[in-house]
This record gives sequence, C-alpha cells and structure tokens, in this order.
Amino acid sequence: MLPFRRFERSTTLFVGLVMLSFLIATFDVRSDGTGLGAMMRTGAQSLFAPVQQLATAVTRPVAGFIDGISNIAGLRDELEATRAENDLLRQQLLDVQSTENRLTELERILDLEPPIDAATVAARISSLAPTEFDHIRWIDRGTEDGIALGQAVIDEDGLVGRIDFVADRSARVRLITDPRSGVGVRDLGTNETGWIEGRGAGPLELKMFSTTKPVQEGDRLVTDGTRFPPGIPVGIITESAEAVAGFALITSVDPAINLAELDFVKVVVGWSPLDAVVDPDTGEVVDVPLAPVTVE
Amino acid sequence: MNLRPVTLSILLVFVAVVIQTTMFGTGRVQPFGAAPMLVLAVVVACVRYLDSEPALLLGFTAGLLLDLLGGSPLGLWAMVHVVVAYLTLRLRHRADSAVPLVAVGIFLLAVLAQTLFLVASTLFGQSLLSSSGLVMLILLPAAYTVIAAAAVMPTASWLLRERTVRTWVR
Repeated sequence: MLPFRRFERSTTLFVGLVMLSFLIATFDVRSDGTGLGAMMRTGAQSLFAPVQQLATAVTRPVAGFIDGISNIAGLRDELEATRAENDLLRQQLLDVQSTENRLTELERILDLEPPIDAATVAARISSLAPTEFDHIRWIDRGTEDGIALGQAVIDEDGLVGRIDFVADRSARVRLITDPRSGVGVRDLGTNETGWIEGRGAGPLELKMFSTTKPVQEGDRLVTDGTRFPPGIPVGIITESAEAVAGFALITSVDPAINLAELDFVKVVVGWSPLDAVVDPDTGEVVDVPLAPVTVE
Repeated sequence: MNLRPVTLSILLVFVAVVIQTTMFGTGRVQPFGAAPMLVLAVVVACVRYLDSEPALLLGFTAGLLLDLLGGSPLGLWAMVHVVVAYLTLRLRHRADSAVPLVAVGIFLLAVLAQTLFLVASTLFGQSLLSSSGLVMLILLPAAYTVIAAAAVMPTASWLLRERTVRTWVR
C-alpha cells in the first residue's frame, strides 16, 4: 500500500508542477517581459551576475586553451588563408581610403552624420545563453547606465542585436541570429529595403517583398533606420537571387559580426526609432537626429 | 527528511548553472557548435539519490533557473526538467544496470528534453522550429550530455550516496 501511495503523491506533484510551469509561461508571454517575470529575472541576475563574472574571469583562460587545442589542426590553413586575405585587403584599403574621402565630402554637403556618432555605452558580455536554443547574451550594464529596451547593440563589425530585458546592472541582448529577431535592412547594392530574420546557428534569411531588382552575392546590408540607427552593417548576401513577380525574394545572409569572438559591445543609447523623421508618403527615413553625448 | 542531500543537490545545480552560462557557449567551449546540457546531467544524477518530492522540486528549480537566465518564456525549461526528473524517478531502479544502458538512457532523456522544449516553445509562439540544423542541434548536445554525465554522476554519487541510499531503492 505504501509504494502505491508514494507513487500517487509524486505523480500528483508532477502533474501540479507541469501545470504550474505552463501557467508561469502563459503569464510571462502575456505580460510581455514585465511584472512578476521581470522581477524574478532581475532577482536571478542580481544573484548570479557577480558569480558569473567571477566564473567567466576564471574559466576564460581554460576555455581559450581548450578552444586553442581543438583548433590547432586548422591553424596552418587559417594562416595561409589569412596571408592571402591580407594581400587582398591591402589592395582594398587603397580603394576604401579614396572612397572615404569622397564620402566625407558628400556627408559635409548633405549635412549628415555617420550613425556611429550616436551616444553609446560600452559593455562586456557577462554570461552566455544556457541552452542551444537561446540566442542571447547578458551584458554588465543596465538601467543605471542608461540602457533601455529596444536599443541597438553593436560591435566593431556591425549589429549584434537589441536589448530585450533590462535589470539595474545587467541587460539581455537578443542576437540577430535568434529566430525571434527581425531587422529592417537596406541593400547597398540596389538601395532596396528588406527584412532579415535569424535562423539560429545558420545564416540569416533576407526577405524582400516589393523589390524588382536582383540581389548579388557579396552585396552589403545595413540597417534601414526604422528600428535601429541607419547604416549599421548587418551582413553580406551569400547567394544571388532574383525577384519573381508576386513572390518575396528570399536569400541567405552571413552576419557581419563574429559571434564566437563577441566580448565587448556597445549599446546605442542616444537614438530611438521615435526620433527618426519618416516621410509619410514613401515611408523612408529622411532625418535621424543623433544625441551629442558619448558615454564610455 | 534528511536535508543534507537536498541542500547538496541544490548547490550542485547552482554550480552547474554558473558553468553552463559562463563556460559552455558560443566563443567558449563549444566543439562543433554545441555544448553539453550540464544542468540536465546534474538533475538526473541527483534525482537518483533523492525522495520523489524533493527530486521533482529540484528539477523544477533547475529548469526555472535556466528560464530566468535564458531567453525563452519562464516555465518552459522548468516543465522540461520536471518531466526529466519524473522519468528518472520512474527508471532509477535500473540505474545500476550496465553502463551502456545508462548512457543510452541519458542520451534519450536529453533528446526528449530538447524536443519537448521545442514543442512547448512553439505552442507559446516561439519560432524555434525554423532554426537551421535542428537535428544536429538536438543530437550533438545530447551526446555531449552523456559525456558530461560520466563526470557528474560519480561526483553526485560520492556526495549523496552514503547518507541516502536507503531512500531511493524501491
């Protein structure tokens, strides 16, 4: 009789906990990142963040060593490839310098400022996603440093993601590779706009709904200014594709950033989509005020 | 109820969560783009030595911590870890079987956990099923979890066995 009773009790608790989990999930989804869920996340961050920062400092050399061992076989090939790339880049640098001069001149004429001049807050990645399905990072800056929901997170290569949860001294970055992420982009080759979605560990997916021009492999994509400051590099098209009437143009894109090397990032705090002046007829961003202060 | 194994189990889960969120991730130790589910391995290892109710609550707590430090809606990993804890409770009398059988069991539990999470997250509007390389995203961490369990289970056994062995033998 006793084992039967024990089985019943544990099964009842099991069913109860499963139902409780679903209830919590429902409330969390409904509350859209606020309320009790946000309080619990903030509490967990306050508890874990110091330990995680300490653990990161301790495990970083160990992780680097293990990573180095696992990559040792590929280092020779990588060296050869880097040398070839170096030669190519030297050539390109000359072209870029010339282009930069022309760009500066054009910006002066048009009275525009490059997006990187927006106020930013530097932050360090304090912890990683606990599972393969979470494409997030936690950073060591929060509301106390001016971080707010929706702000763009960038590094030296381009757009990393957006802030989707903020605590006092930490914030969660939803990476652009997350299937729940979407970014409005502009193809610098065709000047057409589109929408990029994350695909997890794979390349990003570009969708262009109203384009008539084909996109070419190697075309660079930058943010279009509707949600994030315009002009931030997002990725490079890896497959040429043509628009077919009545269908969206869909192709794959390599992210501009290297997630494996993500360590320090900058949060663009001096820009809001509400600041952008949008032409009511065309829907295009015609003016983007930028905050003058840079917080470091 | 002896609180010592429960306290030690919670401590092990905390350590596993910290290691999981600092060491195993993109850019850190993640061979072939995947990492072991260390927290799940710890839950399976500890549940072997706990009474039914603390075991289920440990699974719930471990999952909820992953939810709080992750990016999915709260409660999904909690639900998954409760299921894992419950199945481990039902099967733990076979834990002393041949090692390959235990390894296969942990592998299947890890696969089930991730599949369950994907289904549950889809029900809650998370478009994770569109992730590329989904099969490898499930199988590789499951295989690594078996390797992690090989280190975690003796540790849990060493910490918890002596004082609680009578409570889990049915």
